[in-house]
Amino acid sequence: MTAIVKSDRNIERPTIEGVAMTDLAEKITAYIRENFIAGRSDAVLEPDTSLIEAGIIDSTGVLELVEYLESTFGIKIEDEELVPENLETISNILRFLASKGVGA
Amino acid sequence: MSGTVHDLLAASAARHPDKTAVFQGGRSATFAEIDSLANRVARLLTQAGLDRQDRVVVIMGNSIESVGVYYGILKAGLISVEIHEKSTPSEVSYFIQNAGARACVLAEAPASRLGGIEIPVLVSPAGPGSSRARTFVPWSALDAVADERFEARVSSGDIASIVYTSGSTGRPKGVVLTHGNIRSNTLAIVSYLGLQEDDRVMAILPFHYVYGKSLLNTHMAVGAQVVINNRFAFPNAVIREMCERSVTGFAGVPSTFAILMNRSVFPKTRIPSLRYVTQAGGAMAPALTRRLLDCLDGVDLYVMYGATEASARLTYVPPDRLRRDKLGSIGIPIPGVEVTVRDDQGRELAPLEVGNICAQGPNIMQGYWNDPEETSRALKPWGLVTGDLGYRDEEGFLFLTGRKKDMLKIGGERVSPKEIEDAIVESGMVHEAAVVGKPDQYLFEVPLAFVVPLDEKTFDLEALRSFVAGRLSPHKHPRHWTVAKTLPKKPSGKIDKEALRHEALLEMRVA
Repeated sequence: MTAIVKSDRNIERPTIEGVAMTDLAEKITAYIRENFIAGRSDAVLEPDTSLIEAGIIDSTGVLELVEYLESTFGIKIEDEELVPENLETISNILRFLASKGVGA
Repeated sequence: MSGTVHDLLAASAARHPDKTAVFQGGRSATFAEIDSLANRVARLLTQAGLDRQDRVVVIMGNSIESVGVYYGILKAGLISVEIHEKSTPSEVSYFIQNAGARACVLAEAPASRLGGIEIPVLVSPAGPGSSRARTFVPWSALDAVADERFEARVSSGDIASIVYTSGSTGRPKGVVLTHGNIRSNTLAIVSYLGLQEDDRVMAILPFHYVYGKSLLNTHMAVGAQVVINNRFAFPNAVIREMCERSVTGFAGVPSTFAILMNRSVFPKTRIPSLRYVTQAGGAMAPALTRRLLDCLDGVDLYVMYGATEASARLTYVPPDRLRRDKLGSIGIPIPGVEVTVRDDQGRELAPLEVGNICAQGPNIMQGYWNDPEETSRALKPWGLVTGDLGYRDEEGFLFLTGRKKDMLKIGGERVSPKEIEDAIVESGMVHEAAVVGKPDQYLFEVPLAFVVPLDEKTFDLEALRSFVAGRLSPHKHPRHWTVAKTLPKKPSGKIDKEALRHEALLEMRVA
């Protein structure tokens, strides 16, 4: 069997309406869109959308997101830090990353 | 009118009406309030024209309201068909048609959930939207319904629930459970867990799933309390609430414990009120069970086994034996149930001989809804054939060795690879497709798809992913896609899934 292509994930342009996004915000938005809401046209993703309440990310999704943040930004996220204040929305994630010296 | 599931709730409501039954965030409801909500739901659905044993599809996450709706449906002698909150319109339409449902109860406005599905009676918070319902009932109508005890003739032989579970042949099958089935299983669980009215369980498992539902029914039956928390995505917040509310019980599937033990403060937290923890929903790696045991000092851990077809529970390992010498076993039968190991002809096998795990008892389903063929495959004169293979040791403790059918276990749920393959092929974009499971640290298994495009030049993987996402609930979406020119075949011409599994593992290692 020959694999022609693997599932290289297309990077879509992020679309948070009406907000001028930093590169960092764009990158994270694109990651979430691509990995968690591909193919769901009804999903709304704004900086303050609760990723959990909107059904975008579940418990294993949070862990995937954490692994992505750790490997992409070379940071260590402690178990104690896996709380809504740090990860519930894209705004919270950006604030949390800033506290870790990313994008500040 | 004894012998029903809702009588267990009504009896608790009569014993201590003012005691809190359910906590949810900052809200709570007493036993009398839950019973009253159930009475009003029963009256509302009956007034909307539903008759005894009509099927009602329910799409609600765990909530005080969903508890009232469940018991209300039962009180009215209707049949509850609860489905996954994230079901797509195409899945919902299948469930409604397959069950021949006459009503649908939604927690949210119908627009995004139902598409244009036709249904005689629709209950939802806001207008009917684009859904085609003959009778629309807003949730607010409940306030106007008389708050009196609702009496309908319901007996233990009446169907209480149809619970959909993945079938090896493709689309999910409806497991038909009577009041007698669920009630007997509820009381057996109460007895071996030793549940008392001062117990309080943290419920993170969905109630549409039999394990989650058994938490609700057992605690309501003994006048104990249920704490609903739908945000296990943040396990630390759940642990915090377990401490604050002084819960005595917790229940999870293997992925729950993988998350708790590997990425939460659970191992470092002591919850003084915790008395017992249960684990079911698939085999957990013994190493993880061992770590969990180490961390649960002074807390009873119940490893359990069951099936939707058995209302929920079939066996459990007594906690002292789990710690002493039976780690890896699924235990002994629960009270009132007989579990045997048999060959394909139904002959009982000797200890240590591997065969089909079969079960008989008052908790075993009546069959699959409108599917005599599948029913006759599962229900034999010697009982339910679970589809699991295993053996018993000299002491009668059971051990699983594998599964007969080609099924995935994602999180706590069985998923048929064929259902995913069928959805991929339905796109019209592929020549053939195969789905296999890849071991996953948290979910036990995740689906991987191999597809052969119909036309390589125009093939668009993103379009295919979108198509599948529109057909199947998120947990069934393949996590990784491989596009190939051909798929390996066995001499019979069937796709060689073993080879694909092997290939998938190799690729994962490289990737």
